[in-house]
Amino acid sequence: MRIIIFSWEYPPRVVGKLSEDVKSLATELATNDVDVNIVTYDEASTGLTQESKWVKATRVANPVRTHIGVLTWVLTLNQEVERAAANIYYQAAKKIDLIDVYDWHFIPAAVTLKNGLDIPFVYSVESLEDHRSQALNTTYSMAIKSIEWLGFYEAQKISAESEWMRDEIIRIYKVPEEKIVVIPFDDPSSHAKQILSLFSGVAGGAKVK
Amino acid sequence: MKNNPSVMMLSWEYPPRVIGGISPHVYFLSKNLVKQGVKVYVVTCDFPDAPAHEVVDGVEVYRIDSYKNPAPDFATWVYLMNLNMQKETAALTKKIGDKIDVFHAHDWLVANAGIGLKHVFRKPLLVTMHSTEMGRRDGLHTTTEKMIHETEAWLTYEAWRVICCSEYMISHVKWAFGLPNDKLVMVPNGVNTQSYNNSHDDLSGFRSKYALPEEKIVLFVGRLVYEKGVHILINAVPKVLSKVNAKFIIVGSGYMKEQLLNIVRSMGLEHKVLFEGFVDEATLLKLQKCADVSVVPSLFEPFGIVALEAMAAKSPVVASDTGGLSEIIQHDVTGVKVYPNNPDSLAWGITKVLLDDNYRRQLRENAYKTVQEKYDWEKIAVQTKRLYESVLGEYSKSFWA
Repeated sequence: MRIIIFSWEYPPRVVGKLSEDVKSLATELATNDVDVNIVTYDEASTGLTQESKWVKATRVANPVRTHIGVLTWVLTLNQEVERAAANIYYQAAKKIDLIDVYDWHFIPAAVTLKNGLDIPFVYSVESLEDHRSQALNTTYSMAIKSIEWLGFYEAQKISAESEWMRDEIIRIYKVPEEKIVVIPFDDPSSHAKQILSLFSGVAGGAKVK
Repeated sequence: MKNNPSVMMLSWEYPPRVIGGISPHVYFLSKNLVKQGVKVYVVTCDFPDAPAHEVVDGVEVYRIDSYKNPAPDFATWVYLMNLNMQKETAALTKKIGDKIDVFHAHDWLVANAGIGLKHVFRKPLLVTMHSTEMGRRDGLHTTTEKMIHETEAWLTYEAWRVICCSEYMISHVKWAFGLPNDKLVMVPNGVNTQSYNNSHDDLSGFRSKYALPEEKIVLFVGRLVYEKGVHILINAVPKVLSKVNAKFIIVGSGYMKEQLLNIVRSMGLEHKVLFEGFVDEATLLKLQKCADVSVVPSLFEPFGIVALEAMAAKSPVVASDTGGLSEIIQHDVTGVKVYPNNPDSLAWGITKVLLDDNYRRQLRENAYKTVQEKYDWEKIAVQTKRLYESVLGEYSKSFWA
């Protein structure tokens, strides 16, 4: 199985807990013989990068430096994510089983790659704009929510870390329950196994190896 | 490779959605490319009552939902619109099979979609830079303006070729984004002479709604914004009136309107200067045909399509010697060029044209001939098709092919 993980943070860039979680999962998956490719944001200020032997990380920088907000920043970064993902796709003779996307930032890229190249994606939810913005519903927040909605709509499957999060996704976005899988992040190894079985279903039963 | 290329055009406007010059440009270019055997798809923004898919003069037109995501401001709206445009175009490209040879984007307004599609499908991207943020704003003053400028730079960087409509724009774009010469191609903008050809209409009744028989008509068409220099024309009005009896008709709207009205009022010339606002296409064509002189006093003008339109309508042109206008008009032959930002020079030009019937006829005939020879859409489509073919020739030797 060959996958690409999209995450806007990955060591050495650490914004929240997502960074270490993604690294731990990627390593676990790699030891289970999954070909794991990470596409993440390249932040020069985080210093030297210690590359893993098992996980290939591509770090992309924003082609537009000046921005008026996080939204425009994210939206121009997405084309670089697409470029990196397309490079992996063509290098691998067009054989990518799926993309695993963490939170809303790179949903636009995942959606385009799904629609253009038939690569299914899993939307892994770490947090939601409704909670981050405390349901303020400013236009700015609504725009981010519309991207989250697009992700839920276009994703093959959604993974949530808790039943509470699953219920929140259903409450806010009216997502059908059977589309969401709850996989708690407790023991890294059993977590990875559950993720693998989710991936295998999305990739049409693709074998690990 | 197939004999005739297929192109996916991306444009934020296409008729009936008309905001500026890109809409008619993409309309005429696409239609004439089809006549040259090119398969053309246009993906554009939606418009009330316009269908999501239709075939216009052989062009496959797709309109996407451009207000799907709420947006806090215009620039963010552009990027969000691109998200949806890119997604829809990706699905469309996949649906029609491996049949798109090039993506052709028009301005930064579709930068993200064009760049993303280039990489996803590994096909060459061409861009036509109709204008630049630097030029529109006369510098880069705000964060938004800088962001747009950098987006333009990114788009020209990603493009296989950058098309500009005038030599002036070529040198401006080259300087603004630091581009190499061999990446830039000049393909002029066109004008459709046919729409002005029904010359048998009797326009005297129409004319009398705007001017007295003894008044000459001086016409300005354009947005009432600083870069269009309409305030220079207003300042020239009394200078012209001291020599010739004329009526000044201002077509278009913009943020300077109230200020301009006040200047006209303070000069006591409200009976001589008419502000018509936006007028429909048919009225505009008639006004251009009635005009004894069309004035283009721009301070910044990447191309100057309004001068070409006047020339096609056989209205003599007085334009400021700047930007694309300098190239379109040959002084004393196809029009009159005056110093930019100079009401005295502008008044001199207008007066010279209005006072000499023979001179006016001569300018008109020469200008019309030039329009037919150089700015004909069919010729422009042939040039554009050749450009696609040469890019595809280079592409076929790359590892993407």
